[in-house]
Amino acid sequence: MSLKDARRILALAAFLISVFWLIPYLIAVSGYWNFYFTLTSVALLSVASAGVWLTFYIGRINIGQGAFALIGAYVSAILVTKAGISFWISLPIAGLFAGMVAVLIGLPILRLRGVYFAMITLVLTEVVRLAALALPITNGAKGIVSIPLPSELSIFGIVLIPDFSAIENPKLAFYYTACALMVACYAAMYRIVNSRLGQLCRSMQQNEELALSVGVNIAYLRVIIFAISSFFGGVGGAMFGAIAQSVYPSSFVVKDSIDFMLNCFLGGLGYVFGPMLGTLVLYFGWDLLFELGKYQLLIYSCVLILVILVLPNGLLSVRLSRILWARQ
Amino acid sequence: MGAAVTPLLEIRELTRKFGGLTATDAVSFDVQEHEILSVIGPNGAGKSTLFKMMTSFLATTSGEVLFRGKRISDLKPHIVARMGIVRTFQETSIFKNMTVRESVLIAQHLRSTASLSGYFFGSRAARSDEDSFGRRADEVLSFLGISEIANERASNLPQGHLRALGIAIGLSTDPVALLLDEPFAGMNQDETMKMVSLVKSVRDRGVTVLLVEHDMAAVMTISDRIIVLNFGKKIAEGTPAQIQSDENVIEAYLGSSDDEIGI
Amino acid sequence: MEQVIANGLYLGAQYAMIALGLTLIFALMNVLNFAHGQMYVIGGFVTYTFYGQFEIPFIFALLASCATLAILGALIERFLFGPVIRRSSREESTMLLAAGIAFLLDAVILLVFGEKQRGVPKIVNGVFNWDFRIIMPYDRILICVIAILSIVAFISFMHFSKTGRALRALAQDRVAAELMGVNVKRYSMIGFALGAMLAGLVGGLLVTITGVNLGMGGPTSIKAFLMVMIGGAGVISGAIAGGFILGMLEAVGLAVLSQYGDITYLAIFIALMVFLAIRPQGLMGKPWG
Repeated sequence: MSLKDARRILALAAFLISVFWLIPYLIAVSGYWNFYFTLTSVALLSVASAGVWLTFYIGRINIGQGAFALIGAYVSAILVTKAGISFWISLPIAGLFAGMVAVLIGLPILRLRGVYFAMITLVLTEVVRLAALALPITNGAKGIVSIPLPSELSIFGIVLIPDFSAIENPKLAFYYTACALMVACYAAMYRIVNSRLGQLCRSMQQNEELALSVGVNIAYLRVIIFAISSFFGGVGGAMFGAIAQSVYPSSFVVKDSIDFMLNCFLGGLGYVFGPMLGTLVLYFGWDLLFELGKYQLLIYSCVLILVILVLPNGLLSVRLSRILWARQ
Repeated sequence: MGAAVTPLLEIRELTRKFGGLTATDAVSFDVQEHEILSVIGPNGAGKSTLFKMMTSFLATTSGEVLFRGKRISDLKPHIVARMGIVRTFQETSIFKNMTVRESVLIAQHLRSTASLSGYFFGSRAARSDEDSFGRRADEVLSFLGISEIANERASNLPQGHLRALGIAIGLSTDPVALLLDEPFAGMNQDETMKMVSLVKSVRDRGVTVLLVEHDMAAVMTISDRIIVLNFGKKIAEGTPAQIQSDENVIEAYLGSSDDEIGI
Repeated sequence: MEQVIANGLYLGAQYAMIALGLTLIFALMNVLNFAHGQMYVIGGFVTYTFYGQFEIPFIFALLASCATLAILGALIERFLFGPVIRRSSREESTMLLAAGIAFLLDAVILLVFGEKQRGVPKIVNGVFNWDFRIIMPYDRILICVIAILSIVAFISFMHFSKTGRALRALAQDRVAAELMGVNVKRYSMIGFALGAMLAGLVGGLLVTITGVNLGMGGPTSIKAFLMVMIGGAGVISGAIAGGFILGMLEAVGLAVLSQYGDITYLAIFIALMVFLAIRPQGLMGKPWG
């Protein structure tokens, strides 16, 4: 094992220990129980952002992740409330459904590039919201409310996940679930990026024509990647709905889609863990500015614009993640 | 040259129209196995259009391209590439942020046996692919004499190396026929001569080489046969000696500037 | 039937103006102006303030809207987009900046004008009624006529004035325009100001009918994107066509699909996807990439 591998494993261990042990311990000691909600949100949003990052990896700017998160949230909510299916089964179904929609939509629109792809994905976010308002099954503007907490998951009588409504602290349970999802999602991303799949994606990102000329089936690959990306969005959205126990057409809107994109840019597009970092920084930044009341959006947008002005190529994000990397 | 039994590629009445403009007009010729065939002609003669149609990057208006008797025009580009007809681009067209070795690794994709999920989970086929890709990448790089720049980023390379990288990418696909787009453009005498011997050594590996080129001196030294296009029509075909004395060709080129002729 | 066409024309005329501004900015600087809808909202609020609150004649309030947005657009180009475009060639940077500006303008609207829905008194009273086949309030007709006249004025400006010709040269080929002696920096600013002004003008016109509120910005941008995609990005005729097509589709959709709930935009989007699959560059756009 090389030194690099050893450092990587150490960093991973440190990350897992702090997420699954240190943070819950600190929260228990300090008594900031509301912190769980913030961190759970960050974990889930970073799963959805990871999807956006993955579409960027094949050279597409995706501002449609809010649409897939909303689709995922509704699929899970409808399955749980109307069909009585366990949440844990509805979760992968929600992801797969979002992925399927992505394949259908992706086939025509992935031919577009740059601004054009960005525009149509943005429109998609709005269209899914309007569809949720109009379709009978989504219950219009009233949304789907009082979704029961996730029930027990057991196989052959062995309880894998206990009934959330029976746990004394469901917040902690949601936190662990969200973090487990996040870890699984980023592990998958890391594997994609560091396998030949990642090389193929990079070849597409850098030069589609040349990739085509050496026999890469880019049309197929980009649909697969877009589907995986939307799968992440759908799963993240479904989990969000379960925590809020409600889904509305306004649960994920254009602002969220843009935020997912901003998370990726801020975290650094060259790094698998960039979107995780970006989500953390932006979410906490936004939360901190809450104290400023009606000036919140003003300060937030000014800071954002300043960052872009001072470092138009996103250098800050790259350097920031490099420093963090070295420290780990 | 005319002694070969079946030609490798047959181009038959290939025509492409853009709106009212005819870019190539019923062009027909054969490509024999293991030859170096150049397509020349003044700017806008339809050379690039021809190459694009031969690799299915562009749909034909009419006519067809046969590869060992099978039709390969109007398919998908990656399918034609997998059959062994590979096109390289001018030097601006590379994988900018990859190292030379990475680019060459990617270029072997069409020979992969594992599935995408196989690569994700690291199946046996995937691992054996990766091994053979690695070996072959090193072999191609040392064959072209660019092993020492294997770990350089493509965007940092000087022009001469970029061309070599382009050929390395093409060669890694283990092509039957390699279509080179202006491999000598912008090179000085020295670089051109190096490139000429490189292209010849590629042919000696058993690859059929087609090129589109402006540099007449290089074309005359390197080619077994030459096709001349003008205004989308084939006006001459033959050995370099025949072409140099062909009246149609001289006439076509007299109409353009000396600079473009290059002799 | 006649009613649907009339409604479509009325919607189309205003949509076309919004799309024109967006497409102009896109053509000149390759910037997707996310903040276009917010500029429209600001235009509405300025007219509301002058006409509704200070009771200055409508036409002057409208001019004030145009002037405010033109200045705002010029400033945004000069100090934000200009520098970023010069330093970074990456598409993402300008898109990021545009998103930031959209947030900023939303924040400014919130602080300056508040979040209440605002409306102004009708500029003309009465309803046009043609045998109950077409029923349309006079103010809508007036707005529609002004919008169409503005579009005609804009096109003639682009074709016949020196500035317009410079802008078109710039849109066609930035480098060539610079070589031909067009002051790229100056005309980029003028173009951006002009695009923003168009957004402000529509905002000012429509505040008399639909009123204006903070939340209108985003959806307006999205409609503008739709039109631009239908017509082809960066092409003036495409923006106009896209605007009128979307207006018609919306009018028809509202008339035909209303019994199934508000699924007009879902239907339009699906139609657009099928259309883009066949023709990715839009109706009038040039083929690309």
